[in-house]
Amino acid sequence: MVNIVLLSLLAAQVVEPAASAPPPPSTAPDGAEPQPFPTGSYNVGTPGGIPVGKLMLMPEIAVVADGALGYTTLSTEQQELTAGPIPQHKAWPMLQEVELAFQATVDPYVRGDVFITFTPEGVEVEEAFLKTLSLPWGLQVKAGQIYSPFGRTSQLHRHQWTFVDQPLSMQRLVGAEGLSGAGGDLSWLSPLPWFAELHVAYQATSPGFAEDVKQLTGVARLIQYFDLTDEATLGVGLSWALFQAEAPEQWKNLAGADLYVKFRDPTSRSSLVLQGEVFGRQLGGQAFSEARWGGYGQAVWRVDRNWEVGARYDNAPAPVAFEGGTQEDWTALGTYYTSEFFRLRLQPSLVLLPGGQTGFQGLLSFEFTIGAHAAHPF
Amino acid sequence: MRRIATTASFAALLAAVASPATAAVNVVTTTEGLAAVVREVGGEWVKATALSRGIQDPHFVDANPSLAVKLRNADLLVDVGMDLEIGWLPPLVTQSRNPAIQPGGARRLTAASVVPPMDLPTGPVDRSQGDIHPAGNPHFLTDPRRVQLVAGAIAARLSEIDPASAPRYQERLQAFRAKVLAAEKGWKAELAPFAGRSVITQHKTLTYLLDWAGLKAAGFMEPKPGVAPPPSHVASLAATVKAAGVKGVLVENYYDRRSADQLRDLTGVKVIVIPGDVGGTKDASDWVSYLDVLVRSLVQAVQ
Repeated sequence: MVNIVLLSLLAAQVVEPAASAPPPPSTAPDGAEPQPFPTGSYNVGTPGGIPVGKLMLMPEIAVVADGALGYTTLSTEQQELTAGPIPQHKAWPMLQEVELAFQATVDPYVRGDVFITFTPEGVEVEEAFLKTLSLPWGLQVKAGQIYSPFGRTSQLHRHQWTFVDQPLSMQRLVGAEGLSGAGGDLSWLSPLPWFAELHVAYQATSPGFAEDVKQLTGVARLIQYFDLTDEATLGVGLSWALFQAEAPEQWKNLAGADLYVKFRDPTSRSSLVLQGEVFGRQLGGQAFSEARWGGYGQAVWRVDRNWEVGARYDNAPAPVAFEGGTQEDWTALGTYYTSEFFRLRLQPSLVLLPGGQTGFQGLLSFEFTIGAHAAHPF
Repeated sequence: MRRIATTASFAALLAAVASPATAAVNVVTTTEGLAAVVREVGGEWVKATALSRGIQDPHFVDANPSLAVKLRNADLLVDVGMDLEIGWLPPLVTQSRNPAIQPGGARRLTAASVVPPMDLPTGPVDRSQGDIHPAGNPHFLTDPRRVQLVAGAIAARLSEIDPASAPRYQERLQAFRAKVLAAEKGWKAELAPFAGRSVITQHKTLTYLLDWAGLKAAGFMEPKPGVAPPPSHVASLAATVKAAGVKGVLVENYYDRRSADQLRDLTGVKVIVIPGDVGGTKDASDWVSYLDVLVRSLVQAVQ
């Protein structure tokens, strides 16, 4: 029923007269002067979405699919505590994720966003939240199943990642898929003349790799951006997560600091982004001084509209078998964009494990987006 | 003597205080072209800020959170529409926490809602056609006819937000209209000898300007919107150049001109670099000067 209406409306648009002839006058409200140039009858001026879609009050729908071919010389043991381990010494094809996004304004006060992901492990609600649009005093509430306002890379959806995977330091110290859970995030945009936003969140999250165990979590984050010049922006973030630890191996305190610098040539699509984060995690049974630290630094150069190259250094706690040790990953990235909606990435990395063990990983990934045009992340 | 001096300085102080710096309407626009039109209509009673610069491709502006700070205190947001800013504006508007500038809000004006569109797609509407704008071509601010409609809408909205200054906005609107009409006479005279001639442009940015000028686009450097020109397309354009008698290629200064230069090497056409918007070059400092530069470039491209 909906399809027939949609198709007939589309057909009506197709048989409109040629573009240079003005369309027939729209019905003006009573008493208004007839316009010299009639406006279009499909509300063509509204920003975003397709005119007919808006007419039908449909949400913006997008599907992002991410597949990859992976190869690793690391054993299962060496890949413990890594999201998406693959069999050793095999060129292994994987469907990494399909994300379904539904986004719309609910009413003048609230918007709704729902993201559902399909992975080989199953179906999951990645995020499903309401976001307020008109609270006073610079406040905004985001509530539902949400990513915690912690750090920088842990809040990103897969299609927003520059690299094919998340840094291991983030996976092992924050969460396998970032830090997220049901709850609410109250944020305040300060009246300062630069961007300074404070977040306070209360959620039930599963940090690290303990999927079934949820801990009550309080998160706070201060993020600021400074325009150094017309062409360079600096972002500085500080985050803290406090967990209710009921067992000694559960997370208790998690600190994060992140730095972001973007140089953008305004007359072209080129940009250089430098980004780094440091994480410090204290478990329930540990003293502050026993906290484990780790972090990453990356540089990504968008050469032009088609090419991007990057490099990343990652320093993370080694997998379980290497008690207390540190793992270092050196990763390179090459991306080819055919358009904003499709990218092909090649990502080799060198893994340095404790005791002189080394490994090599390679990922070849494609990702496409159909449907509504997602905003480009900053 | 001293009393006269005191009275004079007191009068000067009063004059300074009474000048319309009381509460300038804070208007934020997405492009410099829109900011220029806002300044024409609003004069000293508005403060117009553009989120992007005339040297930037308006499709690919960064959604820098610093821009959300500019939107936070906006009394009016004017955007182009037709999905031109869809890649970067919506998250900034949500982030700004300014409720009235949300789409359809009382302090949001989308310029596309008051202009008749061109280039409405009549074929398949999907991305096999490149970076398609399903609601029409958003580059309508190069058209003297449509810019008057946009100026009228801006004046009307400013009058709603700042009713005390409504007569001034109407006055300035009429002055701007008169300025454009007077300049149009000169531009039309310059272009008249070349009616019906063809040019090639990089992207479909000059549809409205060419329509107004009585010229045609024989082809585009981009085979489809947003798709870089492959060598095969440049070769086929060389044939178009011969068939249609094209003498010039117009390329905005934020595009890579290499393919246009290849076409020049093949056929001898002139490559003319133009500003993409007001502020795109030093001499395009306001809307009328921007059109001056465009008309001069058109004349150069068809001779």
